[in-house]
Amino acid sequence: MNQVNLTQRQREVIEAGADSRIFLSGQAGCGKTTVGLERMLYLLEQGIPANSLLVLSPQRTLAAPYFDASTSPRAGPGGQVSILTVGGLAQRTVDLFWPLAAETAGFTHPDQPPVFLTLETAQYYMAHLVRPLLEEGFFESITIDRNRLYSQIIDNLNKSAVIGFPHTEIGDRLNSAWLGDPGQRRIYQDAQESASRFRAYCLEHNLLDFSLQLEVFLDILWPDPVVREYLTQIYQYLIYDNVEEDIPRAHDLLRDWLPEFKAALLIYDTGGGYRKFLGADPETGQALSQLCDQQIELDDSFAASQGIANLANNLRSVISPSGGSLYREKVPVGVLSFPHETRFYPQMLDWVAEQTRSLVSEAQIPPGEIVILAPYLSDSLRFSIMERLQARGIPVRSHRPSRSLRDEPASQALLTLAALAHPGWHMRPNTYDVTQALLLALDGMDLVRAKLLTEIVYRSRELTLAPFEQINPDMQERITFLHGNHYTQLRSWILEFQAGPPLPLDHFLRKMFGEVLSQPGFGFHHDFDAVRVAASLIESIRKFRLAMEPAQPSQGGLEFDLGSEYISMLQDGVISAQYLEAWRTGTDEAVLVAPAYTFLMMNRPVTAQFWLDPGSSGWVERLSQPLTQPYVLSRGWPDAQLWTDAHEVETNQENLARLASGLLYRCRERLFLGLADLGESGFEQRGALLQAFQQVLQESSK
Amino acid sequence: MGISAVPGSGKTFVLSHLAADLIARGGLEPGQEVLIVTLVNSAVDNFSGRISTLISKQGLLPRIGYRVRTLHGLAHDIVRERPEKVGLEERFAIIDEREAELISKEAANAWLSANPNTLDEYLDPELDENKRDRVRRQQLPDLVYHLALAFIRSAKDHRLTPELLRYKLDAAPARLPLAEMGWAVYKDYQRAIAYRGAVDFDDLIRLALDLLERDSDFLERLQSRWPYILEDEAQDSSQTQEEILRLLAAGQGNWVRVGDPNQAIFETFTTANPQYLLDFIRQEADTRRELPDSGRCQPAIIAAANQLIDWVMQDHPEEAARNALTTPYIQPTPPGDPQPNPPDDPDGIRFIDRKYSPDEEIKAVVDSIERWLPEHPQETAAVLVPRNARGVEMINALKQRGIPTHELLSSTQSTRAAAGALGNLITYLGDPTSAAKLARVYEVWRRSWREETEKQDLLADIKKRIRGCSQVETFLAPRPDRDWLSEISEGLPEEVLSELEEFRNHVIHWQGTTRLPIDQMILTLSQDLFTEPADLALAHKLALVLRKAAEDHPDWRLPELTGELGSIARNQRRFIGFSEDDSGFNPDTYKGKMVVTTMHKAKGLEWDRVYLMSVNNYDFPSNQTFDTYISEKWFIRGNLNLETEALAQLEATHSTGEYDWYEEGVATQQARLDYVKERLRLFYVGITRARRELIVTWNTGRQGNAGASLPFAALTGKQE
Repeated sequence: MNQVNLTQRQREVIEAGADSRIFLSGQAGCGKTTVGLERMLYLLEQGIPANSLLVLSPQRTLAAPYFDASTSPRAGPGGQVSILTVGGLAQRTVDLFWPLAAETAGFTHPDQPPVFLTLETAQYYMAHLVRPLLEEGFFESITIDRNRLYSQIIDNLNKSAVIGFPHTEIGDRLNSAWLGDPGQRRIYQDAQESASRFRAYCLEHNLLDFSLQLEVFLDILWPDPVVREYLTQIYQYLIYDNVEEDIPRAHDLLRDWLPEFKAALLIYDTGGGYRKFLGADPETGQALSQLCDQQIELDDSFAASQGIANLANNLRSVISPSGGSLYREKVPVGVLSFPHETRFYPQMLDWVAEQTRSLVSEAQIPPGEIVILAPYLSDSLRFSIMERLQARGIPVRSHRPSRSLRDEPASQALLTLAALAHPGWHMRPNTYDVTQALLLALDGMDLVRAKLLTEIVYRSRELTLAPFEQINPDMQERITFLHGNHYTQLRSWILEFQAGPPLPLDHFLRKMFGEVLSQPGFGFHHDFDAVRVAASLIESIRKFRLAMEPAQPSQGGLEFDLGSEYISMLQDGVISAQYLEAWRTGTDEAVLVAPAYTFLMMNRPVTAQFWLDPGSSGWVERLSQPLTQPYVLSRGWPDAQLWTDAHEVETNQENLARLASGLLYRCRERLFLGLADLGESGFEQRGALLQAFQQVLQESSK
Repeated sequence: MGISAVPGSGKTFVLSHLAADLIARGGLEPGQEVLIVTLVNSAVDNFSGRISTLISKQGLLPRIGYRVRTLHGLAHDIVRERPEKVGLEERFAIIDEREAELISKEAANAWLSANPNTLDEYLDPELDENKRDRVRRQQLPDLVYHLALAFIRSAKDHRLTPELLRYKLDAAPARLPLAEMGWAVYKDYQRAIAYRGAVDFDDLIRLALDLLERDSDFLERLQSRWPYILEDEAQDSSQTQEEILRLLAAGQGNWVRVGDPNQAIFETFTTANPQYLLDFIRQEADTRRELPDSGRCQPAIIAAANQLIDWVMQDHPEEAARNALTTPYIQPTPPGDPQPNPPDDPDGIRFIDRKYSPDEEIKAVVDSIERWLPEHPQETAAVLVPRNARGVEMINALKQRGIPTHELLSSTQSTRAAAGALGNLITYLGDPTSAAKLARVYEVWRRSWREETEKQDLLADIKKRIRGCSQVETFLAPRPDRDWLSEISEGLPEEVLSELEEFRNHVIHWQGTTRLPIDQMILTLSQDLFTEPADLALAHKLALVLRKAAEDHPDWRLPELTGELGSIARNQRRFIGFSEDDSGFNPDTYKGKMVVTTMHKAKGLEWDRVYLMSVNNYDFPSNQTFDTYISEKWFIRGNLNLETEALAQLEATHSTGEYDWYEEGVATQQARLDYVKERLRLFYVGITRARRELIVTWNTGRQGNAGASLPFAALTGKQE
């Protein structure tokens, strides 16, 4: 990072005194985060101990630039800056001060340690509790995938914690705003009942999901003088970026805490609020400005060109009637491009790939300066577009934050082998899975021989693998002795394992991996991708085991049950075992394919953007969630007010206007629209964003 | 406004021009659209294309400013905007008809095995115990299943949920055993689709109507979005369709309904009824128009059609059926009209009054076609049959004689071809050791060569060689000591060798895709298999759907998913124009070929020469004592039509009047009458498909006891 391009105003904030409280605001692309980063480095350079500096951010991805800067040489040696979300701070503090909180919070076993639940493990417990209720007829009147049902109940609990109302009011709040089919009202009672049971179960077993972590921290620990003394002693300097994307209770905390810091810098994006559906509340964030000594606004734009800025303003005024009619400015030719004759979706993808190629090879735009955005990114879409770019020799990476281990052949292979090694689980992998497992496990194996071998040696009824020596010689020759040897090694290892004492699944996998599969002659020896997947799988299983153990009576053989339970939960999708792909590496060299909101949360501008499927309603409408409602469960929602179609339309327009201009403020030069008559699923697309573009085009052609 | 139009009067033409005109005149605000609602998918693309062409001609951007939908498509649009209001999550799935059928079949079977003797009271008491037992095993499952399908549809049409129906059944003053059965199957069915996170097509319509009724703001917004609603084929409009459009059109009232009550042929077991349109035109419409001029048929055929209207209205022996057809009569276009009628030719119309057996009838028609077709390569011709099964028989007979044919029966060919090619490839990948399947993959991969005569020898040679490779791995993954290709390469023509090598490279690549999730696998394979945009788009859609199937059934692997592929492909057509055939069937492209289709599917189409088959009193009854009915089963007592009786019991649960309580047999009688009327209209539709020549035949039926239908006899003048 160099300081050459800083404006006078930016510099003033960065170099402000060590006793200043500043509230810095401005549109996206005006250089606010740059100020935050430089301020952090400046303070460190001034000799402030790193561990007295707290960097708060609403979401880890938003804090990425701070992570990078804090490890740069300029940060210097010494301690670590704490870069946290309020949720992360809560978990840390609860862990540290558990004895102070446990009894007051109502946990049944305050003497036992707490167990922090991840989203997955929370979902697992929720499934466990709600499944019997479904049999009793709960939630009968709605049509919903079960895993999403569980996650929406958890979401409600989280909403109550981040907004700050008792979790017992969830059902009533939703019910009082409901204007649809009266028959649906019952589901809110059902959702309330499920949430209450979950909370009771957590208290009984020392389990803390996100909502409970936050409540214990904010309601019990923060008010405790010991804890408060501790936190205010440690953290004396604060940088709080993206205040607008954080939750009201985080703002409440800061309201209380801010006066205690020696110096603080709060950074606020005036056009933001993209995480509203996750509980973000820009208004309570904005209110923090009153507690600061200085309010500074930046109004330069370092990102968007004039043409793009005009397009952004025009779109905004067309989409949102309250966006003002001030802007009807010319959008220069070449800023906005789209194809003219694309009936089918794949034709549009070809067009996108071709345009990208020409940007890279003819206009010399680095691939890292191009993003391809869609409202949703289905796996099929992601795969199709990446394949097309790779075929044209363009480096590409996807930023769908995660994908499920269930989809990874490497983890499927490992779990198939695990099932074979544990006949007591009575999981009978089918021939297809065993073939795939052998194909992956034995180096140099091909599909035909793997199938032959499986058909001969695998006895699914007894769950055994027959020895290679027993096969008739002709067939041995067909399969080849080389593969035969490796197969024999693998088989012996399994037999040996079965003779020994049982191990937890993650230990089993680690052992099998280390002693066999990673050795020469086996598939994981060369395949680094597979190794990465294996490591993630083992980690996910370990976490699952740690979260589960305290809630179960410890008996002999417990780990076995946990292992098979893990596998069946993974199969059912209750646990998705998602893992972060290594998307942060090579940021600058590859075209990024991502959902639009994910790109916004990455907080960086690019030269060219592609928006796929502008006719999709996904750009406009929020996710429909029958069991929860982000706006009704927000702080500003008046009691007993009905949620009407007008609210829906207004919110959609606001969100679309915010999204469209937010994206364009992060675009320097060109916007491409990926239009097709029929969308990905074959439906015609006529969403509001497309209509808005049409109107902008009509206006500017007048 | 209501418009009653006759066959061939150019309804589509008028409506598309009206839409284009509205758009071009700039009568629409930003965000407003002309909404066109039509009956079937093929008409959607037809309309959309025409309007797009018209407005492009005026220098405007195409495809903006209007929306053409079937009722299902419209309901889907509506529900998709506010799914959570009716208890659906964002990306709710829609199960297709095939899956709906499978689910109700399962539910029906489950009910039967739990209640094996409940239906005994309906069996013919004459049957001995042996026969009864056989009926229970062989006949009832199918009967219950069909009954359940109709029952569920009807319950949804009446917007009765299982819970609501239960409540009504409990409150009913008397026992309704068929409705109880229907309820039990319905409840299971609904639970099963809810478990899949899905709704069916009928749910969509019901939910759309719920939404419009409950949320007045939402309705108001849609009303202002669609200030003009043009409805085509309004005679087949169901009660719910009418309700939905009535709500949408309320306020500004720009609702144009075009239809021909004489062509209402989709009424059986739906709430559709041409009477709605007639009532609308008579009582509600502020403007009424008739489109009686038609340039389609030659005068003799017009005369026959008009004669049928006359006979039905005045002389039909069943008085209650006399309103099946109504005036206006068809009139030839006036002189100077751009669409003149073909010249008058009284000999062009023939009613063959011979007592053919079903086989003889087919033979006679095939003979006639064999003589006529080679001499008229520039004319279009079709055989129209009352039912699909008869069409298949006809196709087979024509093929046996080597007569070029085109079938327009159930699903379209191109969808099947694309899905079939993928299916073959995936079948092989699930069973990679099979040389026979590998050879089949080769054929599929080179399917474009099938038309090229000079490639035939190479194709056959390679196929034979692959089939003969007993150890596939020595071809695909050779080892130094076992390499099939190098073993046979000596003396092999270079052409064959390189073809085999190229194929091997592809197969190795395809095998690699088995490591991918199913959706990515399909996409990758389709890049290699297809070049047509429509095929690629279908593959993309299949990838999405199979991915969902894999998520719903975590234990499914390639073999199971392959089985799913074909059936899914057939059903993706409900909303989508993924094949050329969907963009409207054009008879002119099939000159020199014999098109075989049903009279139902022929609606809206026309040919120079038309054969109408099976016009006997079984397929076209007249409610006379000698008539028999397809829906009345021999093993049910008292000629009861059990399906209709079940629906009548359903009806009874929400009837309010004291005198309209369920009475056994009444519904069966009414169903006969409805069927008679619908069949008269079907005959009328059949006749009016012919431009120049019409040949009508009948047969004695499977039992050998059927006669010519009464309307047939009336038109031949044979009736007293």
